[in-house]
Amino acid sequence: MIRLTAARLLSSMRRAPHALVVPLVVGASLLLSAPPAAAQDAIFKLDPASRNVVDLVMDSAMAAGLPNRSIFSRALEGIAKKASNRQIVDAVRRRLVSLRTARARLGGVSDDELEAAASVLEAGAKPEELARFRARPQGRTQLEAFTVWADFLARGVPKDEAFSAINKLWQDGADDAIFHSLWNNVQSDILQGLSPGTALQNRIRETPQRATASAGKPPEGP
Amino acid sequence: MDDRKFTILATLSFALLVPAPRELAAQLVSGRLEAGQYTVSDGVLPASALRFAPSFQFDLPHAQISARGAAFLSEQNLQIADGIVSGTFTTPTVYGVRAEMIGNASRAVDERSLGSDQVDVQTRIHVPFRQAGGLWFGGGVAKPWRVAVISSADVLDGGVWGKLGDGTSKFGVATLTATFTNFSFSKVASVRDSSTALSCGAATVGALPTTSALDDAGGTACERQSRFSDMEGVLRWEVGPLEMSAQAGYRLGDSYDVTPDSRHWSSAHATVWLNERVAIIGGGGRQPALPLRGLPARSFGMAGLEIAYSPVSRGAPPVALPHIMLVKKFEMQPGNTPDMRKIVIRVGGVERVDVMGDFSDWSPLTLVRRGRDLWELNVPLSPGMYHINVRTDGGPWMAPPGIPTMHDGFAGDVGLIVVPK
Repeated sequence: MIRLTAARLLSSMRRAPHALVVPLVVGASLLLSAPPAAAQDAIFKLDPASRNVVDLVMDSAMAAGLPNRSIFSRALEGIAKKASNRQIVDAVRRRLVSLRTARARLGGVSDDELEAAASVLEAGAKPEELARFRARPQGRTQLEAFTVWADFLARGVPKDEAFSAINKLWQDGADDAIFHSLWNNVQSDILQGLSPGTALQNRIRETPQRATASAGKPPEGP
Repeated sequence: MDDRKFTILATLSFALLVPAPRELAAQLVSGRLEAGQYTVSDGVLPASALRFAPSFQFDLPHAQISARGAAFLSEQNLQIADGIVSGTFTTPTVYGVRAEMIGNASRAVDERSLGSDQVDVQTRIHVPFRQAGGLWFGGGVAKPWRVAVISSADVLDGGVWGKLGDGTSKFGVATLTATFTNFSFSKVASVRDSSTALSCGAATVGALPTTSALDDAGGTACERQSRFSDMEGVLRWEVGPLEMSAQAGYRLGDSYDVTPDSRHWSSAHATVWLNERVAIIGGGGRQPALPLRGLPARSFGMAGLEIAYSPVSRGAPPVALPHIMLVKKFEMQPGNTPDMRKIVIRVGGVERVDVMGDFSDWSPLTLVRRGRDLWELNVPLSPGMYHINVRTDGGPWMAPPGIPTMHDGFAGDVGLIVVPK
């Protein structure tokens, strides 16, 4: 679809050479934001109906100011993993809903953070839980927190306990290293046979002291 | 039932139902217990009895050890029917080729005899094609005991297999296997047998005067080279809770080596899983004679229940494949420039390592081998979050170890990398 749009632009450029500069700038930006040719070719492995749905979902995301790149990536991931057309369509639709919800709950965050938040929602977190991460000091990113949260949910940590632990660390000002250390310890305990909930409870008790140390630091940035 | 036999059976059954420790169970141990009515007719002794058949399997990265057996409950007595212990050792895949060594020790008990034992060893060269097919060929030797007229046998075999569909397919997974197995051995027969005229004829290896116990009259006996080949096709189909398999075969050989009732055979089995552990099973058909074991051709029918503990996939390819992820370490290191990162993976015994993720538009990127088990690749990654999967030798895509993971929504997992600013 983006390719077609670019073709139309090129065609209009031929008809109206005097308006070269504006279309050139628009076309270049479109082409730069378009997926590479290999990715475009991959999407043609979907059946026409499913491809149409993916196009529509991407258009909806673009209209809502959401990162449609994330939706396109979900489709490519499904194709690469030989998922069925139905599974891929479900996944891109789910991603659009998650991105919308994440944007509504978090406000203006980067595309990466929005995508991470969408992943957490798809892993089973509640939208109202996500809202607790809306306020953040400038320069601080939720990426590591959301990544660890999504992992805990995938490993079977009870949802309430996972949210409670991540939220507590976040509110205490824990940095990325603390989130990663917590994840490392919990996954290690789970691999040794501890139940996911117990592993998190045990490790989160050890973590606040370390978190408090960094919580005292002033937020970065102006 | 004999107390000792009952204790053994009860212990085996209990062991099947007790979950192993989580990490061990997740990769290593699976077990089954079949219990049901089994009817067999070999033309001489039709029998129908309650049959128990436990089996265990241990999977290690380059080895598989399994044991199975069967026992009949007949007139309150538990009669052991057969048992086999098998070991398969697999070398790492080098240039797409893998060697396998297989050893079996088994005992079969026939109603009319004390039973026979057999030890066989076989090696194979296996060329898998991205775990969706492959071919193999090999050979070995089988040494039977207590089958009086058979020497050890040379066994040559080869085959091809292919798999259609995957776990997400509406039509399930179908695996088709075709094998060719040649047995070559010598028979010793008395000249007084009705078949002696043929057995000591032109194909005779040597006529030898003997006082063997076989030749109770003290006459001569001859040793004749025998040979037959089995061609067999097996179709296995799994769709939802249903598993079906059907096989058919034809035996090539002259009439001295192949009895008419063993020329061709076919059988079918069906399993309907009620849940992850309990299934209804049924099947029937005809099995050919097993000359090396002294067992005649027979028809059989069975129906019963199966209790399984199989944390690994129930379906197994016809030739054992190492299915345990061998990646020992995954790291993301700084690259040569600020926008580059180096993916470092340690995995031994594989020929190819690929990664893919949103950073590559989900196209596979092949890592470069830098050492015996060290693989590296430089990729442009700006700060942000990325999804990544890794695979070895064209196998299934998996989340790399040592990083957070999440379900990918396509019946698998995906790893999450955060590249800091």
